[in-house]
Amino acid sequence: MTRVFVFTNHKGGVGKSTSATNTALGIAGMLRRAGAPNARVLLIDTDSQAHATLVTTGTKDYGADDSLYTVLMADRQNAAQTLLNCIVQSTWDADLHVLPASPMLEGAERELMGIAGAPYRLADPLSRIINRYAAVVIDTRPSFSLMTEMGLIAATDAIVPVEPRYLETVGLMSVIGKINDIREGWRQPNLRVSGILVTKMNTRIRGHNHLLDELKGHSVLGKLLLGVVPANEAVSYAHQNHQSIFNYDPKASASKAYAQFVGKLVQRIAKGGA
Amino acid sequence: MPPKNQTHRIDDLLGSVTEELLMGNPQQFEDNSIRVERLLLEMVRPDPVQPRRVLPEQLHFAFHSNRLTPTQALKELVQLVQVAARQRGRPFNNVLELLPNPDDESDEDSSVHLSPEEQLLHDLVNLAITIRDDGQVNPLTVVDVSQGVTQQFRIETGERRYWATWLLRDFIAGYNSDGMIPCIIIPTERSSVFRQAKENTARSGLSAIAMARQAALLLLTVHGYQIPENAVPNDFYRQALDIDLRGKREYTEAILSAMGGVKKGYFSYIKNLLRLSDEAMELADRHNLDERRLRPVVALAPEYHAEVVRQIIDLNLTAKQVKELCEGDLHEREDDEQEKIPASALKIAKAAQTTTAAAPQDIARALIKQEGDTSLARARLQALRKLLTDVERYLVDE
Repeated sequence: MTRVFVFTNHKGGVGKSTSATNTALGIAGMLRRAGAPNARVLLIDTDSQAHATLVTTGTKDYGADDSLYTVLMADRQNAAQTLLNCIVQSTWDADLHVLPASPMLEGAERELMGIAGAPYRLADPLSRIINRYAAVVIDTRPSFSLMTEMGLIAATDAIVPVEPRYLETVGLMSVIGKINDIREGWRQPNLRVSGILVTKMNTRIRGHNHLLDELKGHSVLGKLLLGVVPANEAVSYAHQNHQSIFNYDPKASASKAYAQFVGKLVQRIAKGGA
Repeated sequence: MPPKNQTHRIDDLLGSVTEELLMGNPQQFEDNSIRVERLLLEMVRPDPVQPRRVLPEQLHFAFHSNRLTPTQALKELVQLVQVAARQRGRPFNNVLELLPNPDDESDEDSSVHLSPEEQLLHDLVNLAITIRDDGQVNPLTVVDVSQGVTQQFRIETGERRYWATWLLRDFIAGYNSDGMIPCIIIPTERSSVFRQAKENTARSGLSAIAMARQAALLLLTVHGYQIPENAVPNDFYRQALDIDLRGKREYTEAILSAMGGVKKGYFSYIKNLLRLSDEAMELADRHNLDERRLRPVVALAPEYHAEVVRQIIDLNLTAKQVKELCEGDLHEREDDEQEKIPASALKIAKAAQTTTAAAPQDIARALIKQEGDTSLARARLQALRKLLTDVERYLVDE
């Protein structure tokens, strides 16, 4: 079964798009190096800001005919074919394919509100083409909107990026609770909270270290901790240049941390279990 | 600021983590097994060079040049059959009407002779109903030919099931599936023209023309010809007429085995069918004529091929009758050739047109000069006079 990793947190600026894009590229790169026959990874951008789309394809000029919006608005029968038609190749890597977001997604939520089966409009067509990919990575918007719900319903593994700050770690349990609600409420037994990724970690800030220690010591959250990505200016420069962190500065501490994190996900893909 | 675009260093970084991953089980990611998956119908396409064609030629080319979608191609086929059926006095509106009515106990339908297109649609509808009622038991065999973001699978075997599923999806009520089709995915490196040939020849009902195309594909492949990705005219296959098994002895056994274990002589006969004209080939393929009935036709001039094939179909001629028909035709042509007027006779006839152009004394001098003797010249003239008398008699007879 193809793993679908969704990066979600209702708090903005925690590094969802950065993590989703670099993870998607990292998985494709590592699978290829490991000799996997299929190293293709699909990145789905469900955020109307389209930041993940912009950095991975070099443009965010996608609209009614060639984006996730098109897929959501398609007839059920044609949705899978529409999805295939809307996928573009990333400028980062030939094996990284992107389903671009569009500012029109903002309106899509209103248009789909009240339509029966609306939350499945991504999961349904995706399930019909998913076996063509080794993994799927979904970037979500910073809210628990219909679009985020769609991403979660389509996913198998939820990963929660979080900054090591007090209020954010306090909200972590509520994020996990929300994901579990979707798992139970929408009867998605395949969806689970797979990990927590601490981002923008600054070891020189005592509060960051303290909170990370607390997280590690927590009976539930500690077991979910998958990686710690240090705060690193290479990340913002990479964005500015529309490059991955691996490509922009492979020696940066953030690059190494992301590589280790991706390694753990790839191991899960290979094992096919938790 | 660090230097940009360090693509070699990204390899180092991801490579080092990958090495850690592979420690203990280096093959854990490698998987070259044959997989069975359910694929979206739209991601699957028939092989344009598949010798065994399902659609009539015109639709085959229109579909493979992307002028028709699968649904449009089927719509055209249905319309084609509707016209043919109406002309034969059995019009229908719904494709399901092509199937016999289970409540009708009369055996009226069993004696009806269907046209090839009617038979094709009838078979596809039958297959579609089986798939609807019992599911698709036998998966298609496909090869992954995806390029970039274009995900596509080329059918190696099972094109009829592909068309039946489209028919079921778009033309028959009661389709509840999700637009997916079960397929055995063959790794690209395992796909080969030999494998396809074996699959084709293992099934009954492969027409002699399809066998001829199959033989051509095998020969062209082993001789290093590039097999195109799109539909090809018969001239492509006819290139095989210039090559033979002797050119690649090491492949002879494999080719004959892929062709269903045929003998060299029969292979040669099969390949020879490529000499038929385009129209004759299409007719023979549609009506599934066997090689023995087509063999004598090849010896005729190409302009007669279609006509003779049509007669074979219309009169349901046996191989013996076809042979007699073609040999008779050949003899007639030989007789025609025998009736040709010799050049010497034409010369004399031409000379008759110019009798006023020369004076008698000049002709006498020319005769003496040619024969060297007056008595001999006289003898020539007498012979000529006798000849002219005989000619005149024939003119009267004519």
